[in-house]
Amino acid sequence: MVGTPVLFIVIPLLAAFLIPLLGMLWKELVRIVPGLVLAYMLVLSVNLLNHVLIYGPIVEVIAGWRPPLGINLVFSAFSGFLVTLVVFMGLLIWVYSYRFKRNVDFEPAKKYFLLLMMLITGSVGIILTGDIFNMFVFIEITGISGYALTAFYTGRDSAEASFKYLMLGSIASTFLLLAIMIIYSQVGTLNMADIASKMHTIKPVYKIISFIFFITAIGIEAEIFPLNGWAPDAYTEAPGPVGAAFAGIVVKASVYAIVRYVYTIFDLSGAYDFLILIGLITLIMAETAAIRQERLKRMLAYSSIGQMGLVMVAFGMGTEEGVFAALFMILNHAIIKSLLFFSGSYLVYNSKHKYIKEVNGMSKYLPITSLLFALGAFAIVGLPPFAGFWSKLSMLTAAADSNMLFIIALVLIVSVVELVYYLRVVNRIYFFNKEEKTEPKKPTFNALIVMITLGALILVIGFYPDAITGILHKASADLMDKGQYIHDVLSLNK
Amino acid sequence: MKKIIVIILLGTLGFYTAHTFFDIGFGFPHFEHGIKDVYLQKTVSDLKVSNTVTSIVVNFRGFDTLGEVTVLFLAVTALGGILYKRRHEVGERSVLFSASSIVTSGSKLLFPAIILLGVYVFIHGHLSPGGGFQGGTIIATGFLLMLLTYENYSVNHTVLSLVESLAGIAFAGIGLLGFMHGGTFLQNFIEPGVLNNLFSGGVIPIIYIMVGFKVGAELTGVIYTVLHEKG
Repeated sequence: MVGTPVLFIVIPLLAAFLIPLLGMLWKELVRIVPGLVLAYMLVLSVNLLNHVLIYGPIVEVIAGWRPPLGINLVFSAFSGFLVTLVVFMGLLIWVYSYRFKRNVDFEPAKKYFLLLMMLITGSVGIILTGDIFNMFVFIEITGISGYALTAFYTGRDSAEASFKYLMLGSIASTFLLLAIMIIYSQVGTLNMADIASKMHTIKPVYKIISFIFFITAIGIEAEIFPLNGWAPDAYTEAPGPVGAAFAGIVVKASVYAIVRYVYTIFDLSGAYDFLILIGLITLIMAETAAIRQERLKRMLAYSSIGQMGLVMVAFGMGTEEGVFAALFMILNHAIIKSLLFFSGSYLVYNSKHKYIKEVNGMSKYLPITSLLFALGAFAIVGLPPFAGFWSKLSMLTAAADSNMLFIIALVLIVSVVELVYYLRVVNRIYFFNKEEKTEPKKPTFNALIVMITLGALILVIGFYPDAITGILHKASADLMDKGQYIHDVLSLNK
Repeated sequence: MKKIIVIILLGTLGFYTAHTFFDIGFGFPHFEHGIKDVYLQKTVSDLKVSNTVTSIVVNFRGFDTLGEVTVLFLAVTALGGILYKRRHEVGERSVLFSASSIVTSGSKLLFPAIILLGVYVFIHGHLSPGGGFQGGTIIATGFLLMLLTYENYSVNHTVLSLVESLAGIAFAGIGLLGFMHGGTFLQNFIEPGVLNNLFSGGVIPIIYIMVGFKVGAELTGVIYTVLHEKG
């Protein structure tokens, strides 16, 4: 054993408490330490994932009380894969923003790295925990870091965006608490596996009411329509890396929470159809909104919401192929959308309103960034040699296997819509002449490294999808096996 | 039309929600096999703690408490970041009229008593109602009283963040010590002692005292930051 899952939470917390002190010694430490912590978490998660793929899930007990008495963490193939992805994206975002606001006030920059690290830790906690109230605590940690990061620029607009997010997030917390209360009043336990094994004893009306509260609460974080009103504002007003962190990390963790509730905890058969329904509505609403946007970051935000709708639909199929497709899309979405956010924010770096028309002719000034943006755009639409193609293909085959032809039709139509609005931007970058006003900003060295890494990953997965499908198959099999999960956690009692 | 549909939907949901909560009937025993009896029994037999709430908050679900402490820490950090002003911009507080001599001398008298009460509450968290969160809040109200009474009363920010950080590190550190000695994080690795003694319950009172320091320092910091925001 190389380490245990609890270190994913404890090490960042120790670092977070330590950072204000270290900042008094040497200011640079507040930037370096979060990066070291994230690198450590990445090493740990890769090691643990290798271990788990061979020997089966790790269930960690906390405070010496076996489940259901105490809290436990579960590092299985499914949660381990997501943790590794989240931590990897977190590390890339840290590298990208390492020189962020270096010459400006020291104080907000200090908070920035601390909050970013806690945003990632909270998301990792949501994924690892095996206890519904503990999940609530981690959703709070993620949420508060998110509100603060949205308000980073302390202007009027960012304050408004942050306030919107704060209000919706508080409603989400309240609803989540109500749902937990209903569940606890019926089964007398907060442990996920224990609840899952006692779920059949709950009266249907309680089940449905608490399920509605759960979905509403987590749907706000997961940007499901119509609960995603905060998202486009927050993506626009927050600093570029924070937008990537929302799309690549927070949304992933929230989708994990929804999936865990639908697949493991609740035994409502209608929940799967419900996922398909909300997924489809989210997809259609977001894509039609994306095509109408005039600002680049808003367009990317709506496109991101639409992609998550697609992931919901894939999870809603309830088959192993569906889960496989959903996980593949989560992976691709994290990589590609982050690349689009990173390169996109350099394309409109110095413009005030971030209009799409301001990227005109940027390819002459920022050749590498433009190329990477185009690569990302082609990949997310799902053109063949890139990563996005394989995930959309697996989505289509999964839908065909479960005889859901309308999903196939819809996915294809949506792909055309995506093609239209992404090619529109790429067209402007390459074939329009530059208008005056905006001064192009050269990407920093760190940013360039991160963007090239992401671009290379898109190509690698595009040409060798087999490199990743083995892990994805194991992860999806792990999610489908509810009985095994309950057994793994509760057998510690014996 | 749209409004009518919304009203009908909300009404249905509201009815069933209200019905559910009415039906649960809080305050009556519901389940035979829940974990509550085990908590009640093990608190006394294993942990030697007389306050069950404390044993649940600090030991059985101590991981949640570590998370909640972090939530508070983050809220304070975020507030400090958003309301941050450069040194020379920190404004004088706007005071309509200064406090009368009755208030100033009275609060001087009350301040030590409030701090003492707060310290008492969090030190006796495992014996009597209360604990770190409550005690820390009481201490912060003491500072609030002083800040409201004296316009120029100032709190040293370096000391506050030192207390805050060290208490947090101590909490997580005690958890890690439990990991080394007992095998699981936050394990109670000190001998619990005799029930109802001040020195009993193993690590539980130590953790709760740390929580008390942390909460007290953080809430004082919040009050100070908000009071000195330039309006």
